Amino acid sequence: MSIEVRGISKQFGTHAALDGVSILVEPGEFVALLGPSGSGKTSLLRIIAGLEQPDAGSVHFHGEDATARDAKDRKVGFVFQHYALFGRMTVFENVAFGMRVKPRANRPPESEIRRKVEELLHLVQLDWMQDRLPSELSGGQRQRVALARALAVEPRVLLLDEPFGSLDAKVRRELRSWLRRLHDEIHLTSLFVTHDQEEALQMADRVVLLHEGRIEQIGTPDEIRSRPASYFVREFLEIS
Amino acid sequence: MSARPASPFARFALVSSALVLVALILVLPLISVFIEAFRGGVQAWFEAVSHPDAVAALKLTLWVAAIVVPVNVILGVVAGWALGKFEFPGRSLLITLIDLPFAVSPVVAGLLFILLFGRRGWFGPWLGDRGLEVIFAPTGIILATLFVTFPFVARELIPLMQSSGNEEEEAARVLGAGFFQTFFRVTLPNIKWALLYGIILCTARAVGEFGAVSVVSGHIRGQTNTLPLEVEILYNEYRTQAAFSVASLLACVALVALVVKALARKYSNERHRNDEKGVR
Amino acid sequence: MAAFAAPPPVSASAPAPPPLTLLNVSYDPTRELYQEFNAAFIRHWKKTTGQDVAIKQSHGGSGKQARSVIDGLGADVVTLALAHDIDAIASSGLIAKDWRGKLPQGSTPFTSTIVFLVRKGNPKGIRDWEALARPGLSVITPNPKTSGGARWNYLAAWGDALKKNKGDAGARALVEGIFKNVPVLDSGARGATTTFVQRGMGDVLLAWENEAILALKSPGGDRLEMVAPPVSILAEPPVAIVDRTVDKKGTRAVAEAYLRYLYSPEGQSIAAQHGYRPRTPEAAKVRAFAPVKLFTLESVFGSWEKAHAAHFADGASFDRIYQK
Repeated sequence: MSIEVRGISKQFGTHAALDGVSILVEPGEFVALLGPSGSGKTSLLRIIAGLEQPDAGSVHFHGEDATARDAKDRKVGFVFQHYALFGRMTVFENVAFGMRVKPRANRPPESEIRRKVEELLHLVQLDWMQDRLPSELSGGQRQRVALARALAVEPRVLLLDEPFGSLDAKVRRELRSWLRRLHDEIHLTSLFVTHDQEEALQMADRVVLLHEGRIEQIGTPDEIRSRPASYFVREFLEIS
Repeated sequence: MSARPASPFARFALVSSALVLVALILVLPLISVFIEAFRGGVQAWFEAVSHPDAVAALKLTLWVAAIVVPVNVILGVVAGWALGKFEFPGRSLLITLIDLPFAVSPVVAGLLFILLFGRRGWFGPWLGDRGLEVIFAPTGIILATLFVTFPFVARELIPLMQSSGNEEEEAARVLGAGFFQTFFRVTLPNIKWALLYGIILCTARAVGEFGAVSVVSGHIRGQTNTLPLEVEILYNEYRTQAAFSVASLLACVALVALVVKALARKYSNERHRNDEKGVR
Repeated sequence: MAAFAAPPPVSASAPAPPPLTLLNVSYDPTRELYQEFNAAFIRHWKKTTGQDVAIKQSHGGSGKQARSVIDGLGADVVTLALAHDIDAIASSGLIAKDWRGKLPQGSTPFTSTIVFLVRKGNPKGIRDWEALARPGLSVITPNPKTSGGARWNYLAAWGDALKKNKGDAGARALVEGIFKNVPVLDSGARGATTTFVQRGMGDVLLAWENEAILALKSPGGDRLEMVAPPVSILAEPPVAIVDRTVDKKGTRAVAEAYLRYLYSPEGQSIAAQHGYRPRTPEAAKVRAFAPVKLFTLESVFGSWEKAHAAHFADGASFDRIYQK
């Protein structure tokens, strides 16, 4: 399923966080939103998820306008920067949450929920931890629980906000290649935010480079590396 | 680490003087209430607390608490949610305003309601024409108690809701949870101990409030007299033993509140420590 | 009672006719008096009309109670410490201006006076008003600004000096001397009595005669003694119907009967038992009242309005004396 944003603008007070941004993410694509902090990339991700409303522009999933739809009805998977796991629930209940809050009519039976949660925890290689509380997990493990939880509602697209931001370097490298492999297995249209150009260029099919609320360049990692579109892009890639 | 360990003698002196102080200004008065209450024996105590006026005061007091506490829980949660989780213009002003009932003397709070609802107050004539009594009636007592106890729940919740942020709620939302599902499954479990703590403080104050209630009560025995007012009246009638018997009921409320409060604190601290341990 | 139903009344007795209730808003020292009188009136009313009536009481400082009635406390009758407080309610329109003429003796069913309460054996030898101004003595009286009783105290002392032909200057000097000896001003008569009797403060308490009689019977009263000064003021605590309330509630008949019953032999006798000086000689035999030469407020100060303006209004005599 594709994600498309058209002419998104967003003001916070007097500061323009996003200024006429348009992007099309093709079905099954893995795209990085890259930029320095304050470039508007997280705001854009939150607007796509429905957690913020844009001042202008529209959001489309599979060609269908979803701008007016509430976050809870958009069927997106969202992985928060600090995971936002439910601290009072076990790993199992965290993953099961999205299924338990469904309207009674489409709520799967308990046995189905159990099967699904176990399958997902197996996928993220945490099936032996289902009775732990999030506070008893390491950063990398929490990250994977957050991912399993997001996938449990069978989202149409996956949005990840700095998914490796709070992990140490070694775990980050491991998780990166793991996540890329996972994507290649399930082929879910994914958009992830990062400020780390190495991460973006290494993992993504295409990279969107944001700067002060505008798009500086969109392209494959190779294109961006070989033909930086502006002085800023060149500078940003070299410095970081 | 850097502080020099106090000598055993100094430590003993400090601890024992603190204990003596606590005993003198807290424990002793509390014990004396019960001693005075039972001075005339259990029979006299029972007669005092089962006197129709005392029973009426007890009923009114419980009645007031039964209305005030749930209302303040709802208002407190709403205020805590709005102030803890959202940024909006006038937010800091609102936080200051929530503390207003603490800053204002209860007597002034009571007078405020007379100014609003008294016979010659702003809304008094309008209410009077419709036969509605607010001041010098249970309604006024409830309003005054609501006012003075409002901050207890909200103040417990705001810092907690602020520090826990909005992320878990947002996560629930993108996972498809509606407003009430989010509140009952995610927000409430996170705030329940603080909420309980606030409810206890609110209840204790609602039952014990004297100043504001005294102003709007009219002191009609058996009708608008709450327990604390009844205690004062009994004492002024030279019925010391009866006054302390009724006061012992209030002291019991305070004791129960203290125990539950201690348990709530202990529990929430334990949870908090566990969470902390895991994070870093 | 609209938004919230009142808690169930305590005495749910009357089955058939709608239960009749009166609210008597009174001043502090009359609690015990009305407790007994109400019971007597309820019996009397039941016997003569077959109707049940419940009487609710509210007590507090006289001025504060008047204020509450003005602010909407639904009193059927007010029984306060001084006419001035009822005048205040009357000027707010709740009571007819000519209330004083509606019942016998200027609507004052019983009187009282101001006496001294001292420690047992009268160790300081206090006999008259002049003794109160002696340096080093400690005198307990409530605040004339808030307490009806305290105004009578003040006016009694002032009047005593005038009666001895000392003139206004002499009277001021006496009252000034007395208030120099006052360590704390309680807001009500009962508070002052508690300060003196139970907290043991002061050498002498200026009190209503009835309050002093009650204090002697209270715990700790056996360590006290009453001293009646040779001259004192005739205190006239008046009663009145709150016309606005009784007309709205339809309780005029019973309210009138209630106040009139204060003048009946039984009412007078109950008043005398509680230390109030009754109007009828038969009732006066109930207890021996100390022989005090009593002067009326009107004979010395003209009227309550005049006394108030000259002595208790903001910036008047009391303020000037106390601020020194």
